[in-house]
Amino acid sequence: MVIKGRNAAAIAIIVAIAAASPFIFIFGNDYITGTLTRILILGLLVLSVELAWGQTGMFTLGQAVFFGVGAYSAAVVAKDYGITDVIAILSVAGFAGLIIGLLIGAFLFTGRRVSELYVALFTLALAYAAQRLATSWSAIGAANGIPGIPFPTLFGLKLDSGPILFYLALVVFAIFFFICLWVVNSQFGLTMNAIRDDEERAEFFGYRRQTIQVLVFTGTAGLAAVGGGLFAITEGFVSPSLLGIALSTSAVLWVVLGGKGTFLGPLLALAILQILDRRMQDAFPQFWPIAIGGLLLITIVFLPKGIMSIPQVLRERKSQRVLRHSAPIREDIQ
Amino acid sequence: MTLLVATNITKTFGPLVAVDDVSLTIDSNEVVGLIGPNGSGKSTLLHTLCGRTLPDSGSIKLNNREIARMSPIRRARSGMAIKFQLARIYGQKTVRENLLLALQAETSLIGLLFSRTRHRFDSDIEVLLSDFGLEDFVNVKAGELSHGAQQWLEIAMAMARKPALLLLDEPTAGMSPAERQSTGELITIAAQKCGILIVEHDLGFIRSMCDRINVMHQGSIVAVGTPSEIEKDERVKEVYLTRV
Repeated sequence: MVIKGRNAAAIAIIVAIAAASPFIFIFGNDYITGTLTRILILGLLVLSVELAWGQTGMFTLGQAVFFGVGAYSAAVVAKDYGITDVIAILSVAGFAGLIIGLLIGAFLFTGRRVSELYVALFTLALAYAAQRLATSWSAIGAANGIPGIPFPTLFGLKLDSGPILFYLALVVFAIFFFICLWVVNSQFGLTMNAIRDDEERAEFFGYRRQTIQVLVFTGTAGLAAVGGGLFAITEGFVSPSLLGIALSTSAVLWVVLGGKGTFLGPLLALAILQILDRRMQDAFPQFWPIAIGGLLLITIVFLPKGIMSIPQVLRERKSQRVLRHSAPIREDIQ
Repeated sequence: MTLLVATNITKTFGPLVAVDDVSLTIDSNEVVGLIGPNGSGKSTLLHTLCGRTLPDSGSIKLNNREIARMSPIRRARSGMAIKFQLARIYGQKTVRENLLLALQAETSLIGLLFSRTRHRFDSDIEVLLSDFGLEDFVNVKAGELSHGAQQWLEIAMAMARKPALLLLDEPTAGMSPAERQSTGELITIAAQKCGILIVEHDLGFIRSMCDRINVMHQGSIVAVGTPSEIEKDERVKEVYLTRV
């Protein structure tokens, strides 16, 4: 696999986080550790949206459903069945996401081609329905969710401190991040992009478009569900909001702000907004949501390809300026 | 050997009969033209042949295999390839990636995931680049190619599928005379490997390229013959040639 450009930068960031983490724990505090852990976990959700939408063109506005399914599965397994082994928990969470993803993906993409808007509205409705279901289903704690999820264990060792949970999140994130990079750099990734850019054309070449879409949708559901499972065991609680529209649209927001079609941009957007979010929400509880909405609008208008396109936009502006100043003025046509 | 036999194809859209009981044959290595005024039904006929729309009735056999109810995917896998009127290439991908996309279409999903055929097709890509004069653009994004080169790339992608039948929808639309001539040469080379159906407005091009020409008018084929026969056909002059 050839790692180049932005992929290399993204890998460098992961390595940098791992290298800097001891200093974070020495000089930082639980708040910083918790924020970083959450960024890594939500990063899995971002990766799943980027794979589905950014790479394959399936505009999912309900990806949190799978995140929530993973979170609730992990919570039930850990609390009700007393299974705390992290590998078992995350396997169950991922498997639950895969099953739900396969059912929904097969329903959505088997048969005739569906538009991005159709997929968006369907998954949005799904997120709404899932949150309502979780809010009223007493077996999974209804509106209160499931609190008191025990700490996970690994080979019998209890993972019960912030830094250890951070490293757990980092390892899981890194594994899936490399898998995502591998997939998009493979011939399969090229095929995903072909379906994103012109799925009918891909069909006329003989690609089994439906199979590929269902497969990718299922895989991204499993990925989001692993993120949800990780969330449940690191945070110690799950609630209906994990399945809902707010988290689903936030994930899309991170991808839009960061730049669809890349991994690094959305992850950066997620990190920046998570860091700002916790500070600003306390300091300016009424102003902050408006600021986020404004930021999204500004990005869509001025940076439709997200923050990752800033260098390109600046380069283009610079070259336009140079052209304007260097163009000879022809007096005969003035 | 007869490659494609379309028999009694009818396609309606509400009260409009777009294709009315049309029959058409194409032999191996034969170049067949389909001409007609705007709205004569030739695009609808092409779409029923390639699977974009299904005919209301009739039979389409490719290599003696019934394909009339098949999806475009199965038709492509049965040996049919198409070049659309507006070049439908992957503009954000390089020329090499576009060709690879066409070549790898039948690689298994596991093979794609593990990139097993990424280098297996290198020699095929080199041949296609050379045949279609795209050697200098191998790493150029397809969207940055000239109009003519984009059309040639799409024909190259279709030929990469090693089709038995190639459908070309207005392959010279918007081309300069020099580009048209080059396109004609490419189609002549392609015809050595497969049967070709060309839907085209450029009569000069059609006359020079085709072994046989079908003339459509109001959903029906009103004349079939060699270019010289079609030129002399009074009915064709009446319904088509005088209107162009």
